[in-house]
Amino acid sequence: MAVTLKKVLTLRTVVSTSAGMAMATSCYLAGLQVAIMVEGELAWISILVSGVFCLLSAMCFSELTSLYPSAAGIKLFMQNAFNEKTAVSIAMFYVVLGISMVGAESYLLSSVMLDTVGVIASPMLDRFLWQIVFILFVGYINFKGVKITGRLQDVLTYSMLSFLIGVSIYALAVKGIDISSALKSPTFTLKNVMNAAAVGVFMYVGFEWVTPLAEETEDYRMIGKGMMYAVGLLSVTYALFVVAMYTGLTKKQLMSGTSIPHILFARNMFGTWGAFAFIIMSILASVTSFNAGLLNTSRYVYAMARDDTLPRFFSRLHPDHATPWVAILSLVIFSVLVSLAILFTGKYMFIIMMAAALECFIYVVMALSVIRLRKKFPDSPRAFKVPLGNTIPVVTIVVFSVLMIGLISDTTRDYTGNVLFHNYWVGLVMAMFAGLCVMYTLVVVPRFKLAALKRASLRKKRRPSRSKPGKEGT
Amino acid sequence: MATSDEIMEALADFKEQCNNNKRLRRMQRDWTKLIHFVAEDTGDTFTMDVVKGEIVSFATGRNGTPDIIVTASSEDLCDMFWGDLNPSQKYLDGEIRVKGSQEDVMRLDAITMIIWPEV
Repeated sequence: MAVTLKKVLTLRTVVSTSAGMAMATSCYLAGLQVAIMVEGELAWISILVSGVFCLLSAMCFSELTSLYPSAAGIKLFMQNAFNEKTAVSIAMFYVVLGISMVGAESYLLSSVMLDTVGVIASPMLDRFLWQIVFILFVGYINFKGVKITGRLQDVLTYSMLSFLIGVSIYALAVKGIDISSALKSPTFTLKNVMNAAAVGVFMYVGFEWVTPLAEETEDYRMIGKGMMYAVGLLSVTYALFVVAMYTGLTKKQLMSGTSIPHILFARNMFGTWGAFAFIIMSILASVTSFNAGLLNTSRYVYAMARDDTLPRFFSRLHPDHATPWVAILSLVIFSVLVSLAILFTGKYMFIIMMAAALECFIYVVMALSVIRLRKKFPDSPRAFKVPLGNTIPVVTIVVFSVLMIGLISDTTRDYTGNVLFHNYWVGLVMAMFAGLCVMYTLVVVPRFKLAALKRASLRKKRRPSRSKPGKEGT
Repeated sequence: MATSDEIMEALADFKEQCNNNKRLRRMQRDWTKLIHFVAEDTGDTFTMDVVKGEIVSFATGRNGTPDIIVTASSEDLCDMFWGDLNPSQKYLDGEIRVKGSQEDVMRLDAITMIIWPEV
Protein backbone atom coordinates (compact mmCIF):
# COMPACT_ATOMS: atom_id res chain seq x y z
CA MET A 1 0.00 0.00 0.00
CA ALA A 2 1.46 3.33 -1.01
CA VAL A 3 1.66 5.79 1.85
CA THR A 4 2.14 9.46 1.18
CA LEU A 5 3.96 11.95 3.37
CA LYS A 6 2.32 14.89 5.10
CA LYS A 7 4.44 17.25 3.06
CA VAL A 8 5.61 16.46 -0.45
CA LEU A 9 7.35 18.63 -3.00
CA THR A 10 5.42 19.67 -6.08
CA LEU A 11 6.84 19.78 -9.58
CA ARG A 12 6.68 23.58 -9.45
CA THR A 13 9.03 23.63 -6.45
CA VAL A 14 11.37 21.03 -7.92
CA VAL A 15 11.74 23.22 -11.04
CA SER A 16 12.21 26.42 -9.03
CA THR A 17 14.78 24.76 -6.74
CA SER A 18 16.74 23.32 -9.65
CA ALA A 19 16.73 26.60 -11.62
CA GLY A 20 17.27 28.70 -8.49
CA MET A 21 20.40 26.79 -7.54
CA ALA A 22 21.88 27.45 -10.97
CA MET A 23 21.10 31.17 -11.04
CA ALA A 24 23.85 33.21 -9.43
CA THR A 25 25.64 36.53 -10.01
CA SER A 26 28.58 34.77 -11.68
CA CYS A 27 26.22 33.49 -14.41
CA TYR A 28 26.01 36.99 -15.91
CA LEU A 29 29.77 37.16 -16.16
CA ALA A 30 29.97 33.68 -17.66
CA GLY A 31 27.28 34.80 -20.11
CA LEU A 32 29.30 37.84 -21.09
CA GLN A 33 32.36 35.62 -21.58
CA VAL A 34 30.29 33.42 -23.91
CA ALA A 35 29.28 36.55 -25.83
CA ILE A 36 32.91 37.65 -26.08
CA MET A 37 34.05 34.25 -27.36
CA VAL A 38 31.53 34.17 -30.19
CA GLU A 39 30.06 37.23 -31.83
CA GLY A 40 27.83 38.70 -29.05
CA GLU A 41 24.56 38.72 -31.01
CA LEU A 42 25.02 34.99 -31.62
CA ALA A 43 25.83 34.03 -28.04
CA TRP A 44 22.37 32.46 -27.81
CA ILE A 45 23.55 29.65 -30.09
CA SER A 46 26.28 28.56 -27.66
CA ILE A 47 23.94 28.98 -24.68
CA LEU A 48 21.25 26.85 -26.29
CA VAL A 49 23.89 24.26 -27.31
CA SER A 50 25.12 24.03 -23.71
CA GLY A 51 21.47 23.84 -22.57
CA VAL A 52 20.81 20.90 -24.91
CA PHE A 53 23.96 19.16 -23.65
CA CYS A 54 22.88 19.76 -20.05
CA LEU A 55 19.49 18.25 -20.93
CA LEU A 56 21.29 15.05 -21.95
CA SER A 57 23.05 15.05 -18.62
CA ALA A 58 19.76 15.79 -16.81
CA MET A 59 18.33 12.64 -18.40
CA CYS A 60 21.23 10.60 -17.00
CA PHE A 61 20.72 12.15 -13.55
CA SER A 62 17.01 11.33 -13.81
CA GLU A 63 17.65 7.64 -14.41
CA LEU A 64 20.18 7.50 -11.56
CA THR A 65 17.85 9.29 -9.15
CA SER A 66 14.98 7.00 -10.04
CA LEU A 67 17.26 4.04 -9.27
CA TYR A 68 18.65 5.47 -6.01
CA PRO A 69 16.30 8.17 -4.73
CA SER A 70 18.48 9.25 -1.84
CA ALA A 71 20.13 12.40 -0.50
CA ALA A 72 23.34 10.37 -0.63
CA GLY A 73 22.71 10.41 -4.41
CA ILE A 74 25.94 11.13 -6.28
CA LYS A 75 28.09 9.06 -3.91
CA LEU A 76 25.65 6.17 -4.07
CA PHE A 77 25.51 6.20 -7.89
CA MET A 78 29.30 6.04 -8.15
CA GLN A 79 29.73 3.54 -5.32
CA ASN A 80 27.37 1.07 -6.96
CA ALA A 81 28.66 1.74 -10.46
CA PHE A 82 32.37 1.59 -9.60
CA ASN A 83 33.51 1.14 -6.00
CA GLU A 84 33.62 3.01 -2.70
CA LYS A 85 37.13 4.44 -3.19
CA THR A 86 36.25 5.95 -6.56
CA ALA A 87 33.01 7.31 -5.11
CA VAL A 88 34.72 8.93 -2.12
CA SER A 89 37.54 10.44 -4.24
CA ILE A 90 35.23 11.94 -6.85
CA ALA A 91 32.61 13.10 -4.33
CA MET A 92 35.30 14.86 -2.30
CA PHE A 93 36.76 16.45 -5.44
CA TYR A 94 33.28 17.65 -6.41
CA VAL A 95 32.57 19.12 -2.96
CA VAL A 96 35.95 20.89 -2.57
CA LEU A 97 35.95 22.45 -6.02
CA GLY A 98 32.22 23.13 -5.87
CA ILE A 99 32.51 25.20 -2.73
CA SER A 100 35.35 27.17 -4.39
CA MET A 101 32.68 28.81 -6.54
CA VAL A 102 31.69 30.74 -3.46
CA GLY A 103 34.98 32.60 -3.79
CA ALA A 104 34.06 33.87 -7.25
CA GLU A 105 30.48 34.55 -6.24
CA SER A 106 31.46 36.59 -3.17
CA TYR A 107 34.01 38.57 -5.21
CA LEU A 108 31.39 39.45 -7.81
CA LEU A 109 28.85 40.35 -5.19
CA SER A 110 31.42 42.60 -3.52
CA SER A 111 31.87 44.32 -6.91
CA VAL A 112 28.12 44.90 -7.02
CA MET A 113 28.16 46.36 -3.50
CA LEU A 114 31.19 48.55 -4.23
CA ASP A 115 29.42 49.93 -7.26
CA THR A 116 26.27 50.56 -5.24
CA VAL A 117 27.59 51.90 -1.95
CA GLY A 118 30.83 53.39 -3.25
CA VAL A 119 34.25 53.19 -1.63
CA ILE A 120 34.18 53.67 2.15
CA ALA A 121 37.76 52.95 3.25
CA SER A 122 39.72 51.57 0.30
CA PRO A 123 38.56 49.46 -2.66
CA MET A 124 40.57 46.45 -1.49
CA LEU A 125 39.46 46.62 2.14
CA ASP A 126 35.83 47.33 1.21
CA ARG A 127 35.78 44.46 -1.22
CA PHE A 128 37.24 42.14 1.42
CA LEU A 129 34.66 43.25 3.98
CA TRP A 130 31.73 42.77 1.60
CA GLN A 131 33.00 39.30 0.75
CA ILE A 132 33.26 38.42 4.44
CA VAL A 133 29.82 39.87 5.18
CA PHE A 134 28.30 37.78 2.41
CA ILE A 135 30.01 34.52 3.42
CA LEU A 136 29.36 35.02 7.13
CA PHE A 137 25.72 35.90 6.54
CA VAL A 138 25.10 32.71 4.58
CA GLY A 139 27.17 30.72 7.08
CA TYR A 140 25.08 32.17 9.92
CA ILE A 141 21.69 31.33 8.43
CA ASN A 142 22.96 27.81 7.74
CA PHE A 143 24.24 27.53 11.29
CA LYS A 144 20.86 28.66 12.63
CA GLY A 145 19.17 26.09 10.42
CA VAL A 146 17.05 28.68 8.60
CA LYS A 147 15.45 27.00 5.60
CA ILE A 148 14.24 28.65 2.44
CA THR A 149 10.76 27.21 2.12
CA GLY A 150 9.51 25.77 -1.14
CA ARG A 151 7.04 28.62 -1.54
CA LEU A 152 9.69 31.30 -1.06
CA GLN A 153 11.96 29.49 -3.53
CA ASP A 154 9.07 29.44 -6.03
CA VAL A 155 8.46 33.17 -5.63
CA LEU A 156 12.17 34.04 -5.91
CA THR A 157 13.00 31.86 -8.89
CA TYR A 158 9.92 32.53 -10.99
CA SER A 159 10.12 36.28 -10.28
CA MET A 160 13.77 36.35 -11.36
CA LEU A 161 13.10 34.35 -14.52
CA SER A 162 10.09 36.48 -15.51
CA PHE A 163 11.99 39.67 -14.74
CA LEU A 164 15.00 38.63 -16.86
CA ILE A 165 12.82 37.53 -19.78
CA GLY A 166 10.77 40.74 -19.65
CA VAL A 167 13.81 42.98 -19.44
CA SER A 168 15.52 41.11 -22.29
CA ILE A 169 12.54 41.34 -24.63
CA TYR A 170 12.26 45.05 -23.92
CA ALA A 171 15.98 45.65 -24.43
CA LEU A 172 16.09 43.65 -27.66
CA ALA A 173 13.02 45.49 -28.98
CA VAL A 174 14.58 48.87 -28.17
CA LYS A 175 18.15 48.14 -29.26
CA GLY A 176 17.56 45.62 -32.03
CA ILE A 177 20.13 43.03 -33.09
CA ASP A 178 22.06 42.71 -36.31
CA ILE A 179 22.29 38.97 -36.93
CA SER A 180 23.43 39.17 -40.57
CA SER A 181 26.63 41.11 -39.87
CA ALA A 182 27.32 38.96 -36.78
CA LEU A 183 27.18 35.85 -38.97
CA LYS A 184 30.00 37.28 -41.11
CA SER A 185 32.25 37.92 -38.10
CA PRO A 186 35.58 35.98 -38.02
CA THR A 187 34.92 35.01 -34.38
CA PHE A 188 31.78 33.09 -35.36
CA THR A 189 33.37 29.69 -35.98
CA LEU A 190 32.31 26.17 -34.96
CA LYS A 191 35.34 25.90 -32.65
CA ASN A 192 34.46 29.16 -30.89
CA VAL A 193 30.78 28.22 -30.62
CA MET A 194 31.72 24.90 -28.98
CA ASN A 195 34.34 26.45 -26.66
CA ALA A 196 31.81 29.09 -25.68
CA ALA A 197 29.26 26.31 -25.06
CA ALA A 198 31.76 24.75 -22.63
CA VAL A 199 31.88 28.04 -20.69
CA GLY A 200 28.09 28.22 -21.04
CA VAL A 201 27.84 24.98 -19.05
CA PHE A 202 28.84 27.05 -16.02
CA MET A 203 25.54 28.91 -16.24
CA TYR A 204 23.69 25.68 -15.50
CA VAL A 205 25.96 24.55 -12.66
CA GLY A 206 23.84 23.41 -9.74
CA PHE A 207 20.67 22.31 -11.55
CA GLU A 208 21.49 18.74 -10.48
CA TRP A 209 21.70 19.69 -6.79
CA VAL A 210 17.97 19.08 -6.67
CA THR A 211 18.56 15.30 -6.73
CA PRO A 212 18.92 15.04 -2.91
CA LEU A 213 15.30 16.18 -2.70
CA ALA A 214 14.10 12.93 -4.30
CA GLU A 215 13.11 11.64 -0.87
CA GLU A 216 10.68 14.53 -0.48
CA THR A 217 8.70 13.76 -3.62
CA GLU A 218 5.87 11.34 -4.15
CA ASP A 219 7.01 10.24 -7.58
CA TYR A 220 10.77 10.00 -8.17
CA ARG A 221 10.28 10.81 -11.86
CA MET A 222 9.34 14.31 -10.76
CA ILE A 223 12.99 15.13 -10.01
CA GLY A 224 14.05 14.21 -13.54
CA LYS A 225 11.17 16.06 -15.09
CA GLY A 226 11.87 19.08 -12.90
CA MET A 227 15.55 19.18 -13.86
CA MET A 228 14.68 19.07 -17.55
CA TYR A 229 12.09 21.83 -17.26
CA ALA A 230 14.58 23.90 -15.25
CA VAL A 231 17.33 23.49 -17.87
CA GLY A 232 14.83 24.44 -20.58
CA LEU A 233 13.70 27.55 -18.69
CA LEU A 234 17.28 28.56 -17.95
CA SER A 235 18.30 28.07 -21.61
CA VAL A 236 15.60 30.39 -22.90
CA THR A 237 16.19 32.99 -20.17
CA TYR A 238 19.97 33.04 -20.51
CA ALA A 239 19.88 33.02 -24.32
CA LEU A 240 17.65 36.09 -24.33
CA PHE A 241 19.36 37.91 -21.50
CA VAL A 242 22.98 37.45 -22.60
CA VAL A 243 22.25 38.82 -26.07
CA ALA A 244 20.24 41.69 -24.57
CA MET A 245 22.99 42.44 -22.06
CA TYR A 246 25.68 42.40 -24.74
CA THR A 247 23.77 44.77 -27.00
CA GLY A 248 22.91 46.98 -24.05
CA LEU A 249 26.53 47.58 -23.04
CA THR A 250 28.74 50.23 -24.61
CA LYS A 251 32.04 49.31 -26.32
CA LYS A 252 33.88 51.07 -23.50
CA GLN A 253 32.06 48.99 -20.89
CA LEU A 254 32.76 45.78 -22.80
CA MET A 255 36.45 46.66 -23.07
CA SER A 256 36.73 47.57 -19.39
CA GLY A 257 36.59 43.90 -18.32
CA THR A 258 33.80 44.73 -15.90
CA SER A 259 32.74 42.18 -13.31
CA ILE A 260 29.21 43.65 -13.06
CA PRO A 261 27.94 43.69 -16.66
CA HIS A 262 24.31 43.14 -15.59
CA ILE A 263 24.33 46.23 -13.37
CA LEU A 264 25.89 48.41 -16.07
CA PHE A 265 23.36 47.07 -18.58
CA ALA A 266 20.47 47.84 -16.23
CA ARG A 267 21.79 51.35 -15.63
CA ASN A 268 22.17 52.00 -19.37
CA MET A 269 18.70 50.75 -20.12
CA PHE A 270 16.61 51.72 -17.10
CA GLY A 271 18.63 54.23 -15.08
CA THR A 272 19.26 54.09 -11.33
CA TRP A 273 16.04 52.24 -10.48
CA GLY A 274 16.80 49.56 -13.02
CA ALA A 275 20.27 49.11 -11.56
CA PHE A 276 18.74 48.94 -8.08
CA ALA A 277 16.36 46.16 -9.15
CA PHE A 278 19.28 44.19 -10.57
CA ILE A 279 21.33 44.72 -7.42
CA ILE A 280 18.51 43.27 -5.29
CA MET A 281 18.16 40.37 -7.71
CA SER A 282 21.89 39.76 -7.68
CA ILE A 283 22.01 39.61 -3.90
CA LEU A 284 19.00 37.28 -3.72
CA ALA A 285 20.37 35.01 -6.45
CA SER A 286 23.77 34.77 -4.76
CA VAL A 287 22.40 34.22 -1.28
CA THR A 288 19.90 31.52 -2.34
CA SER A 289 22.43 29.77 -4.53
CA PHE A 290 25.25 29.81 -1.96
CA ASN A 291 22.89 28.95 0.86
CA ALA A 292 21.69 25.84 -0.97
CA GLY A 293 25.29 24.96 -1.86
CA LEU A 294 26.47 25.30 1.74
CA LEU A 295 23.44 23.39 3.03
CA ASN A 296 24.08 20.46 0.71
CA THR A 297 27.85 20.34 1.13
CA SER A 298 27.78 20.70 4.93
CA ARG A 299 25.27 17.84 5.21
CA TYR A 300 27.44 15.83 2.90
CA VAL A 301 30.54 16.51 5.02
CA TYR A 302 28.52 15.49 8.09
CA ALA A 303 27.48 12.22 6.42
CA MET A 304 31.08 11.50 5.34
CA ALA A 305 32.24 12.00 8.92
CA ARG A 306 29.53 9.65 10.18
CA ASP A 307 30.68 7.16 7.56
CA ASP A 308 34.27 7.40 8.92
CA THR A 309 35.53 8.90 5.68
CA LEU A 310 36.33 12.25 7.28
CA PRO A 311 37.45 12.90 10.87
CA ARG A 312 34.61 12.36 13.33
CA PHE A 313 34.59 15.94 14.64
CA PHE A 314 32.99 17.06 11.37
CA SER A 315 29.80 15.31 12.51
CA ARG A 316 29.38 17.46 15.62
CA LEU A 317 25.95 19.01 15.89
CA HIS A 318 24.96 22.25 17.51
CA PRO A 319 23.09 21.50 20.77
CA ASP A 320 20.28 23.96 20.01
CA HIS A 321 19.91 24.11 16.23
CA ALA A 322 20.84 20.51 15.35
CA THR A 323 23.03 21.79 12.52
CA PRO A 324 26.48 20.35 11.69
CA TRP A 325 28.34 23.43 12.92
CA VAL A 326 31.88 22.09 12.50
CA ALA A 327 31.19 21.18 8.88
CA ILE A 328 29.57 24.58 8.24
CA LEU A 329 32.41 26.47 9.95
CA SER A 330 35.07 24.52 8.03
CA LEU A 331 33.37 25.24 4.70
CA VAL A 332 32.98 28.92 5.63
CA ILE A 333 36.72 29.13 6.45
CA PHE A 334 37.56 27.41 3.18
CA SER A 335 35.29 29.83 1.30
CA VAL A 336 36.97 32.81 2.95
CA LEU A 337 40.41 31.47 1.95
CA VAL A 338 39.30 31.03 -1.67
CA SER A 339 37.79 34.54 -1.67
CA LEU A 340 41.05 35.94 -0.34
CA ALA A 341 42.97 34.20 -3.12
CA ILE A 342 40.58 35.73 -5.67
CA LEU A 343 40.76 39.12 -3.98
CA PHE A 344 44.55 39.24 -4.29
CA THR A 345 44.80 37.71 -7.76
CA GLY A 346 41.56 39.10 -9.25
CA LYS A 347 41.26 35.83 -11.20
CA TYR A 348 37.55 35.18 -10.66
CA MET A 349 37.26 33.94 -14.24
CA PHE A 350 39.67 31.16 -13.27
CA ILE A 351 37.15 29.75 -10.81
CA ILE A 352 34.36 30.05 -13.37
CA MET A 353 36.42 28.08 -15.90
CA MET A 354 37.32 25.52 -13.26
CA ALA A 355 33.68 25.09 -12.23
CA ALA A 356 32.65 24.63 -15.87
CA ALA A 357 35.35 21.98 -16.40
CA LEU A 358 34.41 20.26 -13.12
CA GLU A 359 30.77 20.14 -14.16
CA CYS A 360 31.72 18.59 -17.52
CA PHE A 361 33.76 15.99 -15.63
CA ILE A 362 30.89 15.12 -13.28
CA TYR A 363 28.46 14.80 -16.20
CA VAL A 364 30.86 12.34 -17.86
CA VAL A 365 31.08 10.30 -14.63
CA MET A 366 27.29 10.28 -14.24
CA ALA A 367 26.76 9.08 -17.83
CA LEU A 368 29.38 6.36 -17.24
CA SER A 369 27.51 5.39 -14.06
CA VAL A 370 24.27 4.97 -16.03
CA ILE A 371 25.96 2.53 -18.42
CA ARG A 372 27.76 0.60 -15.65
CA LEU A 373 24.65 0.31 -13.48
CA ARG A 374 22.58 -0.93 -16.42
CA LYS A 375 25.15 -3.68 -16.91
CA LYS A 376 25.51 -4.53 -13.22
CA PHE A 377 21.88 -4.29 -12.19
CA PRO A 378 19.80 -4.68 -15.35
CA ASP A 379 16.69 -5.79 -13.45
CA SER A 380 16.67 -3.14 -10.72
CA PRO A 381 13.49 -1.09 -10.98
CA ARG A 382 13.93 2.32 -12.58
CA ALA A 383 11.02 4.76 -12.55
CA PHE A 384 12.71 6.48 -15.50
CA LYS A 385 15.03 5.02 -18.11
CA VAL A 386 16.87 7.16 -20.65
CA PRO A 387 15.47 6.12 -24.05
CA LEU A 388 17.45 4.80 -27.06
CA GLY A 389 19.61 2.35 -25.10
CA ASN A 390 23.08 3.60 -24.31
CA THR A 391 23.09 6.19 -27.10
CA ILE A 392 22.34 9.22 -24.94
CA PRO A 393 24.79 8.32 -22.12
CA VAL A 394 27.52 7.67 -24.75
CA VAL A 395 26.78 10.98 -26.50
CA THR A 396 26.89 12.70 -23.09
CA ILE A 397 30.30 11.16 -22.36
CA VAL A 398 31.72 12.18 -25.75
CA VAL A 399 30.22 15.69 -25.73
CA PHE A 400 31.30 16.65 -22.22
CA SER A 401 34.74 15.07 -22.61
CA VAL A 402 35.28 17.13 -25.78
CA LEU A 403 33.95 20.27 -24.07
CA MET A 404 36.21 19.71 -21.06
CA ILE A 405 39.31 19.10 -23.20
CA GLY A 406 38.42 22.06 -25.41
CA LEU A 407 37.99 24.29 -22.39
CA ILE A 408 41.25 23.23 -20.75
CA SER A 409 43.26 23.65 -23.95
CA ASP A 410 41.77 27.09 -24.68
CA THR A 411 42.94 30.53 -23.55
CA THR A 412 40.76 32.97 -21.62
CA ARG A 413 40.78 36.42 -23.19
CA ASP A 414 38.99 39.68 -22.53
CA TYR A 415 36.89 41.65 -25.01
CA THR A 416 39.94 43.27 -26.62
CA GLY A 417 41.66 39.90 -27.07
CA ASN A 418 44.21 40.27 -24.26
CA VAL A 419 45.16 36.97 -22.66
CA LEU A 420 43.82 36.69 -19.12
CA PHE A 421 45.30 33.23 -18.52
CA HIS A 422 45.99 29.96 -20.27
CA ASN A 423 43.32 27.44 -19.31
CA TYR A 424 45.82 24.59 -18.92
CA TRP A 425 46.41 26.13 -15.49
CA VAL A 426 42.78 25.28 -14.73
CA GLY A 427 43.50 21.69 -15.71
CA LEU A 428 46.65 21.63 -13.60
CA VAL A 429 44.91 22.96 -10.48
CA MET A 430 42.08 20.47 -10.97
CA ALA A 431 44.55 17.61 -11.45
CA MET A 432 46.32 18.66 -8.27
CA PHE A 433 43.06 18.66 -6.29
CA ALA A 434 42.04 15.34 -7.82
CA GLY A 435 45.44 13.87 -6.88
CA LEU A 436 45.04 15.08 -3.29
CA CYS A 437 41.54 13.58 -3.07
CA VAL A 438 42.74 10.22 -4.43
CA MET A 439 45.72 10.18 -2.02
CA TYR A 440 43.43 11.03 0.88
CA THR A 441 41.07 8.21 -0.07
CA LEU A 442 43.88 5.68 -0.46
CA VAL A 443 46.03 6.66 2.52
CA VAL A 444 43.92 8.42 5.16
CA VAL A 445 40.43 6.91 4.79
CA PRO A 446 41.58 3.29 5.46
CA ARG A 447 43.02 4.50 8.79
CA PHE A 448 39.69 6.03 9.81
CA LYS A 449 37.88 2.86 8.76
CA LEU A 450 40.32 0.70 10.73
CA ALA A 451 39.90 2.87 13.83
CA ALA A 452 36.11 2.58 13.45
CA LEU A 453 36.38 -1.21 13.18
CA LYS A 454 38.49 -1.31 16.36
CA ARG A 455 35.93 0.85 18.15
CA ALA A 456 33.15 -1.45 17.00
CA SER A 457 34.98 -4.59 18.13
CA LEU A 458 35.53 -3.13 21.61
CA ARG A 459 31.94 -2.06 21.97
CA LYS A 460 29.57 -4.45 23.73
CA LYS A 461 26.46 -5.19 21.71
CA ARG A 462 23.31 -4.00 23.43
CA ARG A 463 20.80 -6.17 21.63
CA PRO A 464 19.98 -8.97 24.09
CA SER A 465 19.15 -11.92 21.86
CA ARG A 466 20.34 -12.02 18.31
CA SER A 467 18.31 -13.91 15.75
CA LYS A 468 20.14 -16.35 13.54
CA PRO A 469 20.16 -15.28 9.91
CA GLY A 470 17.35 -16.79 7.92
CA LYS A 471 15.43 -17.86 11.01
CA GLU A 472 12.61 -16.22 12.85
CA GLY A 473 13.64 -14.38 16.01
CA THR A 474 14.74 -16.51 18.93
CA MET B 1 15.14 -11.74 10.37
CA ALA B 2 13.96 -9.98 13.50
CA THR B 3 10.40 -10.52 14.62
CA SER B 4 7.90 -7.80 15.28
CA ASP B 5 8.20 -8.47 19.04
CA GLU B 6 11.98 -8.08 18.91
CA ILE B 7 11.64 -4.75 17.14
CA MET B 8 9.01 -3.61 19.65
CA GLU B 9 11.39 -4.54 22.48
CA ALA B 10 14.15 -2.56 20.77
CA LEU B 11 11.79 0.38 20.32
CA ALA B 12 10.92 0.35 24.03
CA ASP B 13 14.61 0.63 24.90
CA PHE B 14 15.12 3.27 22.22
CA LYS B 15 12.27 5.33 23.67
CA GLU B 16 13.79 5.19 27.14
CA GLN B 17 17.26 6.13 25.88
CA CYS B 18 15.91 9.08 23.89
CA ASN B 19 13.52 10.44 26.47
CA ASN B 20 16.12 10.27 29.25
CA ASN B 21 18.82 12.05 27.26
CA LYS B 22 18.74 15.72 28.24
CA ARG B 23 21.06 16.82 25.44
CA LEU B 24 18.90 15.16 22.84
CA ARG B 25 15.68 16.54 24.30
CA ARG B 26 17.15 20.05 24.17
CA MET B 27 18.30 19.68 20.58
CA GLN B 28 15.05 18.16 19.36
CA ARG B 29 12.73 20.36 21.43
CA ASP B 30 11.07 21.81 18.31
CA TRP B 31 10.94 18.50 16.44
CA THR B 32 7.46 16.99 16.19
CA LYS B 33 7.12 14.14 13.71
CA LEU B 34 5.12 11.03 12.96
CA ILE B 35 7.49 8.35 11.70
CA HIS B 36 6.67 5.08 9.96
CA PHE B 37 9.20 2.25 9.97
CA VAL B 38 8.88 -0.51 7.40
CA ALA B 39 10.71 -3.82 7.69
CA GLU B 40 10.86 -4.75 4.03
CA ASP B 41 11.79 -8.42 4.51
CA THR B 42 8.97 -9.25 6.94
CA GLY B 43 6.47 -6.62 5.91
CA ASP B 44 6.07 -5.50 9.53
CA THR B 45 5.35 -1.82 10.06
CA PHE B 46 5.66 0.44 13.07
CA THR B 47 4.61 3.96 13.94
CA MET B 48 6.50 6.28 16.27
CA ASP B 49 5.06 9.57 17.45
CA VAL B 50 7.59 12.23 18.45
CA VAL B 51 6.25 15.39 20.07
CA LYS B 52 8.72 18.19 20.79
CA GLY B 53 11.59 15.73 20.89
CA GLU B 54 9.85 13.27 23.18
CA ILE B 55 8.83 9.85 21.90
CA VAL B 56 5.28 9.79 23.21
CA SER B 57 4.21 6.48 21.69
CA PHE B 58 5.14 3.66 19.37
CA ALA B 59 3.01 0.86 18.04
CA THR B 60 2.84 -1.77 15.36
CA GLY B 61 1.14 -0.89 12.09
CA ARG B 62 0.90 2.31 10.12
CA ASN B 63 -1.09 4.96 11.91
CA GLY B 64 -1.79 8.41 10.53
CA THR B 65 -0.05 10.26 7.72
CA PRO B 66 3.70 10.22 8.36
CA ASP B 67 6.27 12.97 8.04
CA ILE B 68 9.02 10.41 7.52
CA ILE B 69 9.07 6.80 6.27
CA VAL B 70 12.13 4.66 7.05
CA THR B 71 12.50 1.40 5.14
CA ALA B 72 15.14 -1.19 6.06
CA SER B 73 15.55 -4.88 6.80
CA SER B 74 14.08 -6.06 10.10
CA GLU B 75 17.59 -6.90 11.35
CA ASP B 76 18.87 -3.41 10.55
CA LEU B 77 15.89 -1.77 12.22
CA CYS B 78 16.37 -3.88 15.34
CA ASP B 79 20.13 -3.24 15.49
CA MET B 80 19.57 0.47 14.88
CA PHE B 81 17.12 0.80 17.78
CA TRP B 82 19.47 -1.10 20.08
CA GLY B 83 22.33 1.19 19.06
CA ASP B 84 24.39 -1.60 17.52
CA LEU B 85 24.39 -0.12 14.04
CA ASN B 86 25.44 3.19 12.51
CA PRO B 87 22.42 4.16 10.39
CA SER B 88 24.46 6.71 8.41
CA GLN B 89 26.66 4.02 6.90
CA LYS B 90 23.67 1.89 5.93
CA TYR B 91 21.94 4.97 4.52
CA LEU B 92 24.98 5.95 2.45
CA ASP B 93 25.13 2.37 1.15
CA GLY B 94 21.46 2.57 0.18
CA GLU B 95 20.43 -0.23 2.57
CA ILE B 96 18.32 2.07 4.72
CA ARG B 97 15.98 4.26 2.71
CA VAL B 98 14.22 7.32 4.03
CA LYS B 99 11.35 9.33 2.62
CA GLY B 100 11.26 12.77 4.16
CA SER B 101 13.16 16.03 4.16
CA GLN B 102 16.96 16.19 4.29
CA GLU B 103 16.76 17.89 7.65
CA ASP B 104 14.65 15.09 9.09
CA VAL B 105 17.05 12.47 7.76
CA MET B 106 19.89 14.19 9.60
CA ARG B 107 17.82 14.63 12.76
CA LEU B 108 17.03 10.92 12.78
CA ASP B 109 20.71 10.07 12.48
CA ALA B 110 21.54 12.66 15.13
CA ILE B 111 19.41 10.75 17.66
CA THR B 112 21.59 7.67 17.30
CA MET B 113 24.76 9.71 17.36
CA ILE B 114 23.84 11.45 20.60
CA ILE B 115 22.52 8.52 22.58
CA TRP B 116 25.32 6.21 21.39
CA PRO B 117 28.23 8.52 20.47
CA GLU B 118 30.62 5.63 19.98
CA VAL B 119 28.56 4.03 17.19
